[in-house]
Amino acid sequence: MKSGEFRRILWRDNPLLVYLVGLCPALAVSDRLSNALLLAAVMLFALLGTGIAAVALERWAPPRLRLPVRLVLASALVTAAQRFLWAFAPTHAAGLGIYLPLLAVNCLLLASSASGSLGQSVAEAAGRGAAFAAGLGLLALVREVLGAGTITLFPIGSFRGVLHLRGLPPARVLAAAPGALLVLGYLSALSRWWTGRRP
Amino acid sequence: MSQPRSFPRGGVRPPERKSATAGLPIRRACVPAEALLPLRQHAGRAARCLVRLGESVAEGQPIGRAVDGLSADVHASIPGLVRQLREIRLPDGTSSPAVLVSLEGEFSRTGRVRRPEDWKALSRGELLQRLEAGGVVDQDGKPAAAKLRAEGGLVVVNAVESEPYLTGDQRLLVERAAEVLSGAAIAAFILGTGAVQVGVEADKKEALRSVAEAAAGSGFQLVPLAPRYPQGEESLLILALSGQRTGGRLEDSGSVTLGVGTLLAIHEAVTQAMPQIERVVTVAGEAVRNPANLKARLGTPVSALLEECGLGRPARVIAGGAMRGFALDSLDTPLTKDMNGILALSRREILPAVRTPCINCGRCAEVCPWGLRPADLFKWLERGEAAEARSRGLEACTECGCCAFVCPARIPLVQGLREGKRKGAA
Amino acid sequence: MLAVTACLVPGAAWGVLLLGPAALRVLGVAVGASLAAELVVQALAWRRFTLGDGSALLTGLLVGLSLPVYVPLFVPAVAAAFAAAVVKASFGGLGCNWMNPALGGRLFAAFSWPVLLAVRPQPAAGWLRLTAGLSDGSLLGGTGTAGLVSTLLLAVGGAYLLARRIAAWEIPAGFAAVFALAFWAFGGLPAGLFRGDLPSALGSGSFALAALFMATDPVTSPQGRGARLAFGAGCGALSFLLRAFGGRMEAPFAAAALMNMFVPLLDRWPAKRGPR
Repeated sequence: MKSGEFRRILWRDNPLLVYLVGLCPALAVSDRLSNALLLAAVMLFALLGTGIAAVALERWAPPRLRLPVRLVLASALVTAAQRFLWAFAPTHAAGLGIYLPLLAVNCLLLASSASGSLGQSVAEAAGRGAAFAAGLGLLALVREVLGAGTITLFPIGSFRGVLHLRGLPPARVLAAAPGALLVLGYLSALSRWWTGRRP
Repeated sequence: MSQPRSFPRGGVRPPERKSATAGLPIRRACVPAEALLPLRQHAGRAARCLVRLGESVAEGQPIGRAVDGLSADVHASIPGLVRQLREIRLPDGTSSPAVLVSLEGEFSRTGRVRRPEDWKALSRGELLQRLEAGGVVDQDGKPAAAKLRAEGGLVVVNAVESEPYLTGDQRLLVERAAEVLSGAAIAAFILGTGAVQVGVEADKKEALRSVAEAAAGSGFQLVPLAPRYPQGEESLLILALSGQRTGGRLEDSGSVTLGVGTLLAIHEAVTQAMPQIERVVTVAGEAVRNPANLKARLGTPVSALLEECGLGRPARVIAGGAMRGFALDSLDTPLTKDMNGILALSRREILPAVRTPCINCGRCAEVCPWGLRPADLFKWLERGEAAEARSRGLEACTECGCCAFVCPARIPLVQGLREGKRKGAA
Repeated sequence: MLAVTACLVPGAAWGVLLLGPAALRVLGVAVGASLAAELVVQALAWRRFTLGDGSALLTGLLVGLSLPVYVPLFVPAVAAAFAAAVVKASFGGLGCNWMNPALGGRLFAAFSWPVLLAVRPQPAAGWLRLTAGLSDGSLLGGTGTAGLVSTLLLAVGGAYLLARRIAAWEIPAGFAAVFALAFWAFGGLPAGLFRGDLPSALGSGSFALAALFMATDPVTSPQGRGARLAFGAGCGALSFLLRAFGGRMEAPFAAAALMNMFVPLLDRWPAKRGPR
C-alpha cells in the first residue's frame, strides 16, 4: 500500500470518523484509552485474519459460500481473541465487556472487500485497522482527559497504568454516553475540515 | 344594519392612510401624449395584435383581439398613430407585447354625449357580446363576459377596498353609485336571476349611505362587512356574505364577484358602447405633493400621472395597493386595467427590509386567512422541496401578503411563495 | 430579544441584591463566555457576526441565572460556552437550534459536575438582610420568602412578555397548571392525596425561569394553540415527576429540554384550518 493511500485511509476516508462505521463498540469502549487501544488491537487481528481468508475464499470457494464462511471465521477469530484476553488480562477483558464479542458483527469487519493479491489485502486490512485505532484512540483520549481527568494505559512494572491529570474538575458528561456522541461529532467535523472535504 | 360580518380566521388591519384622498372627488387626468398599451391586461394569453406600425387608430378602436376564454380585447385609449410594437415588462415581472400610440387626430368618443340605450330590450347573448366588444376585465384579470357566461347565481358586488391608501372604489360609490348598481343589475340580468349582494366595509359611512340610497327599492341586499384585510378576496367575501365555503372552486359557488370599477365599465359598455379605455386610480403616498383620485387613460405612463400630482423624492413607487402591489423599477410602466393605485412612498412609510433568521414565532401562521404556515412553506421552498410545500397547502396561497406584513424578521414570504408557485406551474 | 433580556432584569437584580457580588460574578462570567464563544465560532465558521442581535447575551444571562451561586466560576463559563457554541452555533445559529441553548448549557453543567451543583444553602452575602435558603438549582429562589419573591419578580417580567405577545401564553399556562396540579395532588403522596406543598413548588425560581423564559423560546416551541398547551402540559408533568420522584432540582430545565425534542411532532398538531 502506497504511503499516499495510507494517509488517505487514516484521515480522508477514516472509516470511524468520516464514514461513522463501527460506531457501537467505538462509543462504548472509548471511555478509557486502554480499552480503546485494546479493542483496536483485537479489531486489527480480526481484520487481518478475515482479509487473508477472503483472498483464499475468492480463489477457491464458490460465490455463495464466501459470506457465510467469512462470518463464521470472523466469529472464530474474535472468540479466540476474547479467550486469550480473558486468560491473560481478565481485568481488561472485563473492562471491554460485551463489546468485545460484538466485534464479530461489526460493519467494519464485514465490509472488507477482497482485493486482488494477498499483499494488497493484508495492506488494506492493516490500513483499516490503523485508521480505526487512530480514530478510536483520539476519541478515547479526548473523552478521558476532559471527562475523567485521567489517562489510562497498561500497567508496566511499577507503573499502575493510570495517569491522573491535575486541573479543573472533569466534565463527567463527556465520559458518559452523550459525551461520546458529542466528541465523535466534533472529531468528525474536524477531520473533514482538516482534509478540506465537502461534507 | 346588523353586526358586520367577516371571515373566520387570520387577516390583519394595516393602517388605513386613506385620509388624504378619501374626500377628494375623482378628477380627470390629463390625456397623455403617448399611450403604451399592453396587449395582455388580463389573465389569459396576450391579445392578438390587430394593427400595424404607422397605422392610424381612432379612440376606442380595438387594437388587440382576445385569443382564448380568459383573454379580452384591448382598445386604443387615445386617437393617434401606432409608433412602436414592442415587448414590455409589466410590474409583476412578466412581459407582454405592447402597442405605443402617439396622440394625433380628433377624439371620436370623448366629449360626445351619447343617449344611453335601454339595455333591457337586449338579449342575454347581445349583452355578453357588448361586454366582449368593450374588453371589460374584472380586477382579478378575468373578462367579465367569461365570468357571466354560465347562467344562474348571484352577483356579488365587491365594494371592499381594504388595502391602505386606495380610495378609488370608495369615491366611485359616493359619486356614481347609480351607474355602478346599474352595472350590477345588467350582470344579474345576464345571469338570469336578478339577485345582487353588495359587500361594503362598515366604516365607509359615506359610501354605505350613497349605495343604500341608490339601491333603495331595487331589492339588492346591502351587507356591511368588518374592515379587515383581505376581506376583498373573492372566497373570503363570499364566505362573509353567504356563509358558504367555496373550497377553492369559485365556479361552483353560485356567485359571480365583480369589482366596482368593472361594474361601471359594464354599464358604460352596454349603455354607451364605450370600451374600457380608462380607469380610476388613486395616486397617493407621502412623496406625492397633491394626492388625487384620477380618472386616467389606460396606457398613460405612471411617471406622467405622478408628475401631474407633483412627485417628491420617493423611497419606493408601487403599482397597485400597498399589500398586493408591485414595486416599480421604471416609472415608464403604463397604467393597465388592473392598476388601482400608484403609491410614491417615503422611507417612513415603508417597513424595514433587512432580513434576519426566522425564529418560528408563528405570527405568519396566525394571520394567514387560509390556515397555512407561510414560514414553513418558505423554508421548504428555499431547500428546493417544492413537492413538500405543495403537499402542505402551497396552492391555497393567494399572495395576500398578511404573513409578510407581520413578520418581525422581515422575511420575503410572499416573494418566496409566489416563486414556488410559479415554478410548480411551469 | 432585547425585550426578553430586559424582562429578566428584575429577577436578576433581586438575585444580585440578595446574594451579593458572587451572583454578579456568576452572571458576568456566563454572559462573557457566551459572547466569546459565539464570536469565536462565527469567526471560524461563517465570518459573519451577529452578536448585535442580543441572543448570545440572553443565553448567557439565562445560563447564569439558572446556576446556584456557590459554583466555581469555570462552571458558568463552560456551560455558557457550551450553550452558545454547541447547542446554538453548531446547528446553524439563530433559528436553527432544536434545544433551547440555555437549557443545554445548564444540563451540561448538571451532568458534568453534579457534586458542585448539589443542593445546599446559598450564602446570602448581599445587601438585603434576608436568608436565601436552600437553592433550588438556580441562582434565584430557593426555599422561603426569597424564592417566592424571585418567582414574583420573574412573573412580572414574564407578564410583560405575554402581554406584548413576545411569549405565547399557552406555554407557561400549561406548564404552571399541570405542575401546580400535579404537585398539589401527588406531592405529599405517602401522607395522602391533595396534600402537596404548593407554595414551595411554585416559589421555585428555576420553575419560573424555565416556564416563562426558556420554554417559551419560539425557536424551540411549537406553533398553534393546542400544540403549545400540550407542550406546556408536558413540561409541567415531567417537571413534577423529575422533582418529586427523581429528586432533581433542575427538573424544570430537564423537562423543558425533553419537550424540546417533541416539538417537530407537536408541530403536526392540526390547527384551525382556513376556509378551503
